[in-house]
Amino acid sequence: MKKLSKLTKRILIGASLAFGVGLIALLAWIWHLDGIVTKQFEGRRWTLPAQVYAEPLELYVGQTFGADTLEQELRRLGYRRVDDPTLAGSYRRRGTRIDLVSRKFQFWDSLQESQQLTITTSGTAIASMSDAQNAEVPVFRLDPLLIGSIFPLHGEDRVIVAPDEVPALLPAALKVVEDRKFDTHHGVDVVAILRAIVANARAGQIEQGGSTLTQQLVKSYFLDNRRTIGRKIEEAFMAMLLEIHFEKPDLMNAYINEIYLGQDGARAVHGFGLASQFYFGKPLAELQLHEVALLVAMVRGPSYYDPRRHADRARARRDRILKLMAEYGIVEARAATVAAAKPLGTVMSGSSSGSYYPAFLDLVRRTLQRDYREEDLTEAGLKIFSTLNPPVQNQAEKALAQELDRLEKARKKPAPQKLEGVVVVTAPQNGEVIAMVGGRQAGFAGFNRALDSRRSIGSLVKPVVYLAAVQSGKFNAASIVEDAPMEVKLANGQLWKPKNYTEDFAGPVPLVRALSQSLNLATVNLGLAVGLPEVTKEFKALGLKEEPPQLPSVLLGAVDVAPIDVAQLYNAFANGGFNTPLRAVRSVLDGDGKPLKSFALEVTPVAESAAVYQVNQMMVQVMERGTGRGARALLPSGLVVAGKSGTSSDYRDSWFAGFSGTHLGVVWIGYDNNTPTGLTGSSGSLQVWARLMSAIGTTSWNAAQPETLQPVTVEFQTGLVARPDCGQEVLTIVVPQGTELPQKPGCELNGPGRSWWDRLIH
Amino acid sequence: MSVKRCSSAAALLAVLLVLGACAVPQPYRVPSPATTPTSPSGSSPTTTTPAPTPEAIPEPTPLPAPVVKEPTLSSASRALVAQAQSQAAAKNFPVAAASIERALRIEPDNPLLWIELGKVRQEEGNYVQAENMARKALSMSINAPRTQSTAWKLIADSYRARGKNVEAQDAQRRSEGVSR
Repeated sequence: MKKLSKLTKRILIGASLAFGVGLIALLAWIWHLDGIVTKQFEGRRWTLPAQVYAEPLELYVGQTFGADTLEQELRRLGYRRVDDPTLAGSYRRRGTRIDLVSRKFQFWDSLQESQQLTITTSGTAIASMSDAQNAEVPVFRLDPLLIGSIFPLHGEDRVIVAPDEVPALLPAALKVVEDRKFDTHHGVDVVAILRAIVANARAGQIEQGGSTLTQQLVKSYFLDNRRTIGRKIEEAFMAMLLEIHFEKPDLMNAYINEIYLGQDGARAVHGFGLASQFYFGKPLAELQLHEVALLVAMVRGPSYYDPRRHADRARARRDRILKLMAEYGIVEARAATVAAAKPLGTVMSGSSSGSYYPAFLDLVRRTLQRDYREEDLTEAGLKIFSTLNPPVQNQAEKALAQELDRLEKARKKPAPQKLEGVVVVTAPQNGEVIAMVGGRQAGFAGFNRALDSRRSIGSLVKPVVYLAAVQSGKFNAASIVEDAPMEVKLANGQLWKPKNYTEDFAGPVPLVRALSQSLNLATVNLGLAVGLPEVTKEFKALGLKEEPPQLPSVLLGAVDVAPIDVAQLYNAFANGGFNTPLRAVRSVLDGDGKPLKSFALEVTPVAESAAVYQVNQMMVQVMERGTGRGARALLPSGLVVAGKSGTSSDYRDSWFAGFSGTHLGVVWIGYDNNTPTGLTGSSGSLQVWARLMSAIGTTSWNAAQPETLQPVTVEFQTGLVARPDCGQEVLTIVVPQGTELPQKPGCELNGPGRSWWDRLIH
Repeated sequence: MSVKRCSSAAALLAVLLVLGACAVPQPYRVPSPATTPTSPSGSSPTTTTPAPTPEAIPEPTPLPAPVVKEPTLSSASRALVAQAQSQAAAKNFPVAAASIERALRIEPDNPLLWIELGKVRQEEGNYVQAENMARKALSMSINAPRTQSTAWKLIADSYRARGKNVEAQDAQRRSEGVSR
């Protein structure tokens, strides 16, 4: 007995000791959890990826928008068509008149309040704009499209919403569906857990979760995805601790911003703010009943109830939730029935706010990496105002994809690999990159060919050679160069024998023809006459990062350049001899909405305007009668454009670079492993370029002709001055005043009798 | 490679002789307008005057003086420029420049807007960009003497601010010259 009681005593002592230690450990653990909960949750600092916006749409009288286009743009921004527009983000259309209520938006330079706007259109342009007081509005910016964010490697993306940006229906619906005792429980709902256990046991599988919203928040915010009993207990304690420290509305708002609602490639869509943009293309505040219900439906399983992939499933659950909402008196039964009759209403991924443009965002990111640390971009909630023009971007993606499909279908035997391509579009006058496609699958983030693929540019170099020639003062568009077989002795003693594309040669030709027909031998002769150093210097002057080596082969394009750098080079031509650093970002706001930085427009004269104008006129002839004429069938008639094709040796690279008055486009097509494609610049890239230019409503190249130049008519084949009604294939070139040009016998402009000018003028 | 296959020096002296020797028509000389405007290219402050016309070559009738066509601002641009001017008056130069850039996206070919942007840069102390903006404006203000004059004035101011007085005087002269 004694022994036993001693044993019992020992057990009791041991047990109480163990209990004491356990209790202390438990308290310590709770204290530790409390530390985590209060410290991490107090500031409630989510890492906020920088949000990137497209360029805002400017509305003004004369803007070439018909009512249809304008309505299309409003829909793209998620504006809702209603009978009586009073809420931000809604509009009404009556024929050619559109009344809208804009959204409040913090631009980089000012806060724009929500306001009413009445726009009338006539034909294809805006005829008038006025505000609610009927006062004229000369110019107005719509809130820009959110095109993506710069999220960190683990991929959490979100758009934070304040309580006043949340429709009242959302918390109400969340409570009914997920946690009916939310307002009264202390973090854990024991009854709900028991009910869930019974239901799950009966069903033999997990059907109900008994977690409160607070527990769900804890799980998402603090814990990983492991489902163990230990985790559950930890979760329950942390939920209770949260409830001790924070008010219910705070917890609800945290939940709304935290919870996972879907996956978009590498990025995880967190919070209802981003989910609203991702699924509906508009701010959370503007969601209607059926849309709120759909998002709430997805909480339980964002991929299982993904409305884009499993529409039926998502719809069934949405409608169940609408029913529940009516049952619990959050909405009237009739409203729920009406909402249940509506379609899901999700926007296509890739066509609206949910989409993102990896190649372009890559450029944005690289631009900003010069000034900001990675953490600033992925965590500090910056707002980045980019230069992307979504309609042009969409057309660029489409033009490339369609043309590559067509080229591959036209092949007799299937190619071992897929053709790839790049499109870069800029606004030449301000150097803004308005579209960028980095590969055939535009939505796929991967190797960004537009920035990183340096390929031989072939005849794209020629305009630079011709510019150097014209700037030397010794040549003009009618000057004669010899297109004949030649040998050039290189520095290493070898003989270089360049050939023409046709293996033929044209003899003496004027510059304008040599460039139009992309004659290699004439160009090499010209380049050597001007001097290699003069030519290679010109590349650098126009904006190429590195001066090419002073080798004769450079005259035919043996120089590797990335498409974005080709765009920079040609931008100088399109911009009349001014270099403007290409930009993808206009400005940056910090997390509090204060202006951080702007990337201002800069211009630098890098070539004589008159010389550039003459070369541009020659590039117009490339499109009229040279290697670019294949574009004419696709382009609107009368549209004046200038450009140049490029084909590298053995048809490895197909290039085209060309511009109108308002757009410069550079297109590349080739294989990633640099094997021959069998395509020339004209048979490949030119077609993409022409499709794009015809789709985006661009304007003619009509730069002002410098006062030192005069037009004169010459024969395309011979370069001889001739009256238009007399010579063969007569075209107009521009040359400096006072230039003397040989005339075609019998077709003299200042021949006997009245001069050509006299007749033209009178 | 020169186009002048017949010796133009000889042509100056004896047109008929040269014509006979070459058996081709005399070269065509591209005419100049009646009034010779200053170089608009503006890549260098020095004027390039056309070579004197040789007496011996029959001239085509000089072109009539071009019609003067000064640019104007659209109402959208006017509103944005007014906004920019008040922002610049408040020394908020980046925002003022952003307002003019908005207008430039609407009217990229309007030299008046490039001049306005240049003025903001000048006030801000970015004299090189002020000059460059003015040169950009010059390249598009053809047959617009008043606009050219304003642009040259801005170039003169920009040079002066950098202490380049000789160049400033030259630009000032051009400003006064073309405005006549």
